[in-house]
Amino acid sequence: MIRWSALGIAAFAALAIGVLVGPAHLPPGTVWHAVLGRGDDVTVAIVRDLRIPRAVLAFSVGGSLAVTGAVLQALVRNPLADPYLLGLSGGAGLGAVGAIALGLSGTWALPAAAAFGALGAIILVYRLAIVAGAVLDTRILLLGGVVVSAFTSAIVGAIMALSPAEQLRNALLWLLGGFDGASWLTLTVFAAYAVFPLALLYRASRQLDLLSLGEEPAAYLGADVEPLKRLLYVMASVLTAAAVAVSGIIGFVGLVVPHAIRMLWGHTHRALLPAAFLLGGSLLAGADALARTVFAPLTLPVGVVTAVIGVPVFAVLVRRWAS
Amino acid sequence: MGKLVFATRDLTFQFAGARTATIRDVDLSISRGELVGIVGPNGSGKTTLLRLLLGTIVPDTGSVMAFGHPASQWKRRDLARRVGVVTQSEEPAFPLRVRQAVTLGRYAHLGPFEALGAVDRDAVAAALTRADAIHLADRWTATLSGGEWQRVRVARALAQEPEVLVLDEPTANLDLRHEMELFELVTDLVRHGMTGLIVSHHVNLVARFVDRIVVMHEGRIAAAGQPNDVLTLEVLERVFAWPLEIVRWDDVPQFVPKRKSSVR
Amino acid sequence: MEQRAIRRFNLRIREVGRVFCSRPTSVTALGVLALACAGSVPERGAPHERVVSLAPSITELLFSVGAGSAVVGRTRWASDPPEALAVPSVGDGLNPNVEAVAARRPDLVILYDSPANAGPAAQLRQLGIETAVFRMDRLDDVARGARLFGALIGVSDVAEEVAARFSAALDSARRVPRPTDRPRVLILAWDQPPIVIGAGSFQSELLDLAGAENVFADLAGPSGQVTIEIIAERNPDFVLLTGGVSDPSWGSRPEWQAVPAVRQRRFVIVDGSEFSYPSLRALTAVRRLRQALAEARE
Repeated sequence: MIRWSALGIAAFAALAIGVLVGPAHLPPGTVWHAVLGRGDDVTVAIVRDLRIPRAVLAFSVGGSLAVTGAVLQALVRNPLADPYLLGLSGGAGLGAVGAIALGLSGTWALPAAAAFGALGAIILVYRLAIVAGAVLDTRILLLGGVVVSAFTSAIVGAIMALSPAEQLRNALLWLLGGFDGASWLTLTVFAAYAVFPLALLYRASRQLDLLSLGEEPAAYLGADVEPLKRLLYVMASVLTAAAVAVSGIIGFVGLVVPHAIRMLWGHTHRALLPAAFLLGGSLLAGADALARTVFAPLTLPVGVVTAVIGVPVFAVLVRRWAS
Repeated sequence: MGKLVFATRDLTFQFAGARTATIRDVDLSISRGELVGIVGPNGSGKTTLLRLLLGTIVPDTGSVMAFGHPASQWKRRDLARRVGVVTQSEEPAFPLRVRQAVTLGRYAHLGPFEALGAVDRDAVAAALTRADAIHLADRWTATLSGGEWQRVRVARALAQEPEVLVLDEPTANLDLRHEMELFELVTDLVRHGMTGLIVSHHVNLVARFVDRIVVMHEGRIAAAGQPNDVLTLEVLERVFAWPLEIVRWDDVPQFVPKRKSSVR
Repeated sequence: MEQRAIRRFNLRIREVGRVFCSRPTSVTALGVLALACAGSVPERGAPHERVVSLAPSITELLFSVGAGSAVVGRTRWASDPPEALAVPSVGDGLNPNVEAVAARRPDLVILYDSPANAGPAAQLRQLGIETAVFRMDRLDDVARGARLFGALIGVSDVAEEVAARFSAALDSARRVPRPTDRPRVLILAWDQPPIVIGAGSFQSELLDLAGAENVFADLAGPSGQVTIEIIAERNPDFVLLTGGVSDPSWGSRPEWQAVPAVRQRRFVIVDGSEFSYPSLRALTAVRRLRQALAEARE
């Protein structure tokens, strides 16, 4: 009970910080008034149209990435799995950088291109991992993901090498991840893509526990292994593609958060998945707030902040675990 | 005789890329309330046969039925409520406590959103006690010895409250006491109505406990029936490719492998 | 501003033939190098006749000081003055293709001063080609560059005249008092993530000379990534776009509506390479900018 309360408080605090804190230094009273719609136009717009959707979006993306990481770790039975290892975000990055390089314009060009890129990589890795009739070999999934990641990185490198310097810098900054595109519209679109997969994955919690034992024991304990693996992979892919489309490539959340929860909570997915969502969301909302304010008026890419936070935290966790 | 639990006819299966069939023309039936032992040397197809019976592998030709339906068409959940399986080996990807591990056996009885109830907790405790693993309940599975882990998995299979218990080389890591205790346990369960299927290469031990024995050799059934009828020197020396001596114990044949010097 | 001019000035006497390399030559080389490190332009050294310029700003300046006939290679982005288009392109200026540059048989290559060019510069020197690195980020660099290139190509007289004229015009433009009701302008380089131009860029200087205020003048560097939130807070009167795009698509995105200038489409649009890099046309650029701002205010 205490742990859930702590997570709940962390989540609330992260969201509150995301709304209260920002490069436009607004005192809490002003922020509160702005939430209610009182105050000058610009302040109200900043709070209601920028900060609130941004904080909620960062939270949602962080939570989704954490859940995806946990699910992929169970799927490939490897604690080092995360969405980036499986090539999913490499494809999205390729789609997005390609769109920037081709100069595609339009509000949704970038997210759509990222989503298509992610799906392309997903399909490629899936085809590689399907052996002799519809059996998803998770070892090939892992290897295939690494290979596709490397491939997409190489292509991205090539595109960037051939692009004018300015585009190169912009593509790189986009890839590093950020929530500058956050708005109520983006949030709604993301939620539309994320809610269903998250619900299905939670529903499969018990099956995830079984899958961690190995495919054969899982089957004998009642798991429909092949359909389960397909479901997990597809849902994880949709979540990752949506996250990358909305906010670029943000690492560490999908890898570190599930581990932190595992160490503190155990591996039962019925608790692990919701806890990971709350912790991942808090982490990313907090990281985004930090990214926006620590060097104000300049912003850091969120992916940089999560890495800087993530690596020492991970080191501490591993030491605790080893002892 | 009773109803048939498993029944196969002309069962044949070959792994892709294998030179010969792993299972060839196997006709086997296992009835309710029996304790059946499947013995044979390594590579004779014992584990593959189990997988075919349980529906995780689909045969090339022939049929295999479980509880009257084709084995591979069973929904895993439904089958898991009726059959508890202890595989040869298992390596969980993530650390678990023993109690948690055994609780996984209850999942087949729970809906996706259903919480664990008192019924489940009692079943887990009873299973752990039966398998002599209750004192391990709060240990991490990674810290268990091979034998302890085996007993925990037996407990998990018991927690499923199955009608049938299938054990693949269950005594591989067990010391003498636990080996005997496991066979006594299974015999006791069968006496109380469970059906038991044990795959083992311990011919002698199996012969002492089971109602029927099946001897496998290169994918075929070399002999099947009551131990006294079926376990002859001629069959076993051929199957195990080693000179043997028979003695009798517990009213069943026991085989002692001869040493090379005595043969000479 | 000194450090922004010549960062590194490498001279190496070209080997006529290894057999002729003698101690006196090396001593001379060392002497020249010593002078060069002190930052002054050596009197000795034959004027260079075949120059490859690896930045559009440098290309244009070379033509402006009358050294255009010596330019034998340019980057693919260089298009001013129109005469430059007749010069063969050697590809990119950043991390250039060394082979393509060497194929023009230059006796001098002028590169943009950036870490990405350190390797190629070293490679060119190993091939025996003299290199110079130069950075033109601010308006003061133009006159300095003109004088330097003049000395290198041997058109010092013309270059000195051009530089002096430009400096004088720039000085008098700078002495014009700033109006009291200066429009506050945002110079936006990219929309997602939002990248703005800071005081360290000549674009900011142009804006200042045109009688407007850069809302991000507190950013010392040439550019920086910020959030829409802070742009909204600073509430610029106009958004300056230098790419010539008349209707930026990002302007309709919901998150940008928090910035009143975007919501009300208060864009000032100019185009032309005089807005992409500092050049002798800077003061024309200032005039055009001033005009565009005046039109926008109506």
